[in-house]
Amino acid sequence: MAQYNLEPDSGFTKELMEAGGESLKKCFQCATCSVACPLAPENNPYPRKEMVWASWGVKDKLMTDVDIWLCHNCGNCADLCPRGARPADVMGAARNMVYKKLTSPSIVGQWMSKASGLPILFLIPAVLWLVVWWIRAGFNGGEWFPRAADGRIVFGQIFYGDYTIDPIFMLTFFGAVGILAVGVRRLWKSFEPGKVLIVGKTKSWFWHLFDVLMEEIVTHNKFDECYGGPKTPVETPSRRAGHMVLVYAFVILAFVTAVVALGHWGGKVIPLIKIETPMPLTFPVKILANLGALMLVVGLGLLTWRRMRLNPKYQASSFQDWYLLGVIWVVAITGILAQCFRLADAIVPAFVIYYLHLVFVWMLFAYLPWSKLGHLVYRTAALLYVRMYGRP
Amino acid sequence: MSNSILVVGGGFAGLTAAIEAAELGHDVYIVEKTPYLGGRVAQLNKYFPKLCPPSCGLEIQFQRIRKNPRIKFFTMAEVTGLSGTKGDYTVTVKVKPRRVVAHNVDLTLLASSLEGTVDNEFDLGLSKRKAVYKSMPFAYPNRFVFDPAALSLADTARVAANKYLLPEEPEKELTLNVGAIVVATGWKPYDVTRLTNLGAGSVKNCISNMQMERIAAASGPTGGRIVRPSDGCRPKSIAFVQCAGSRDQNHLNYCSYICCMASLKQAQYVVEQCPDARVSIFYIDLRTPGRYVNVLDKVKACPNVQMVKGKVADVRQGENNTVVLTVEDAVRGEKMTLNYDMVVLATGMQPSLADDKLPLPLPLDEDGFVMGGEEAGIFAAGCARMPLDVMRTAQSGTAAALKAVQTVKGR
Repeated sequence: MAQYNLEPDSGFTKELMEAGGESLKKCFQCATCSVACPLAPENNPYPRKEMVWASWGVKDKLMTDVDIWLCHNCGNCADLCPRGARPADVMGAARNMVYKKLTSPSIVGQWMSKASGLPILFLIPAVLWLVVWWIRAGFNGGEWFPRAADGRIVFGQIFYGDYTIDPIFMLTFFGAVGILAVGVRRLWKSFEPGKVLIVGKTKSWFWHLFDVLMEEIVTHNKFDECYGGPKTPVETPSRRAGHMVLVYAFVILAFVTAVVALGHWGGKVIPLIKIETPMPLTFPVKILANLGALMLVVGLGLLTWRRMRLNPKYQASSFQDWYLLGVIWVVAITGILAQCFRLADAIVPAFVIYYLHLVFVWMLFAYLPWSKLGHLVYRTAALLYVRMYGRP
Repeated sequence: MSNSILVVGGGFAGLTAAIEAAELGHDVYIVEKTPYLGGRVAQLNKYFPKLCPPSCGLEIQFQRIRKNPRIKFFTMAEVTGLSGTKGDYTVTVKVKPRRVVAHNVDLTLLASSLEGTVDNEFDLGLSKRKAVYKSMPFAYPNRFVFDPAALSLADTARVAANKYLLPEEPEKELTLNVGAIVVATGWKPYDVTRLTNLGAGSVKNCISNMQMERIAAASGPTGGRIVRPSDGCRPKSIAFVQCAGSRDQNHLNYCSYICCMASLKQAQYVVEQCPDARVSIFYIDLRTPGRYVNVLDKVKACPNVQMVKGKVADVRQGENNTVVLTVEDAVRGEKMTLNYDMVVLATGMQPSLADDKLPLPLPLDEDGFVMGGEEAGIFAAGCARMPLDVMRTAQSGTAAALKAVQTVKGR
């Protein structure tokens, strides 16, 4: 073992405990967890080493550890942990710390780390979209709840795509992508063990990424491998089905959004592919959109039900866990309700709910790099890294 | 008012307490659940600190009991009720029938002629016993037990006319008047079937440390030869799995105190009998209280003994009835899957009272250990109070006896 100078940071340990790892000090390094984890490899397995880093506050080791991303949080380690140190939660807390600290502006990470930051996170888009509403109401002759010429409710009357929704969300989306790109570069660099000698055939990172997508993300098979560990006395509800339905729901909704955007903007050039919103309920794209919304609710229901059934003695949920579930819930519910009220011709609730929908969707995307949803990128990067270089 | 003392449990703590009190001039009753005195110590091959066989220490205690008319003991007996107050308790005791005549008749020949068998609880399931049995050769009282439930059809005819057996002997109930009570109900090995990740008792050749004592004991199922239970072959490799249930919030939420020493002791049995066998001890911390650290040094010096820091968290059946362990060597950071001919789970001590409650006003902690109760003139001794070795058990027996004596003195 290489010589290593330990620089304990008790402040970091405290932060980690607040981020969902409150039980970490109970660990007495018995190493049950590394065996309990069916994903942990033979060489330098996790999470025992992470537990000792956590408890000593060895920040640089823990924050640059690729293994915290290889953990899929099945909780086997926590079920067998003799001290109730809940290693699964500590791994989650370590990931939360990465979301919090990896990218700037770090103030967002601080708001995202506890419930007290929630009001400001909500207020930013709430004010933004209220200003948009106010301005657009002015364009509609001071009418905050206008009807279209044919008497229908058309959200575009107020939240006009070309000038409001599209530019704001494009900025938000590409801003988040840019921040994530910075984050993922930093994370990748931090994994870097220096020069790595790769023996044998290599393939390009692109094909490795393809493998990650096909072998892990499309199939979600790591979730099942999670349950191949030693038998535990605790019945841990599976999250594969819920997570998978949710991921595919997002894929469908992203596809629908892209099609609508293409139809809208492309339709300006090629009239044949023009799509007008609101789309009729029987329009294929609309059917797909509503299917996506339904799947979103089903996936959320499964995951939320699972979280509520977790035995707090073994696994708990951090603020980040509930934030992400919560924000997707309100996005889904406001989306569905806005459509319902629009179809029911209840104009005031329709616009109010649609406004809230925009606020929550903005929260989902704008804060993505600091939220647990960041795992979408960071975990994928870690899985890719491990395929390319092995573990440092 | 009574100057007598009741001792519940005839293991090392109870015997010591009873003898000490009796030798100070008090009448003592011992109520013991099993057919013999000596408790868990009687099941051991050797015990600390001097690594004597149990017959050694227990024989002295039995002599003192034999010579002391103040001690009365009831085997196969349980306390069923208590009334009265400190200094004047009335205790009811249920005595199960032994179903053999009162004097020491050697029924060995009869026993060997029988064919019906049941699991021998004394050997922790490693052997079978007949319907007429004695738990061990030096059992005290040196009497057989007749258990008609274990008879086969042919056996029934064979024992029918035997004048030394009393198949119809009824259960008895006694009433004792005592001034103080010593509770020395001891411990039991933690139930391995609860250790799901360690095979739950269903992996062949994966035994508990108490089973290992029986295998190593001359009076045990293998005549003291350390062999695999599945095929009777000498193991070429043996692993000891420490903290099998102990120091674990899901099982025994405390250190059982003696299992590290037990494994170090048993590693020496293996080294003596099978000098070529590879021995591994997997531990969280090797705890060797007080002077016992010498034993650790001695075992460490054995060339074939390897000690690995890391708790075994997965036990499965391997090929040819070997046992496969998975453990992380926490010092080197390596997760290993290893094959052993035989594995010993160092299961911990669970207080007997954790599951079998006594009809006494005994405050127990969440694990089942006695916490207090002394104001009622009821004193706990030995492993009913906390996990202990035999030496400290004896000391706590003496301490409880003195407290009991002070309670009844001068009444």
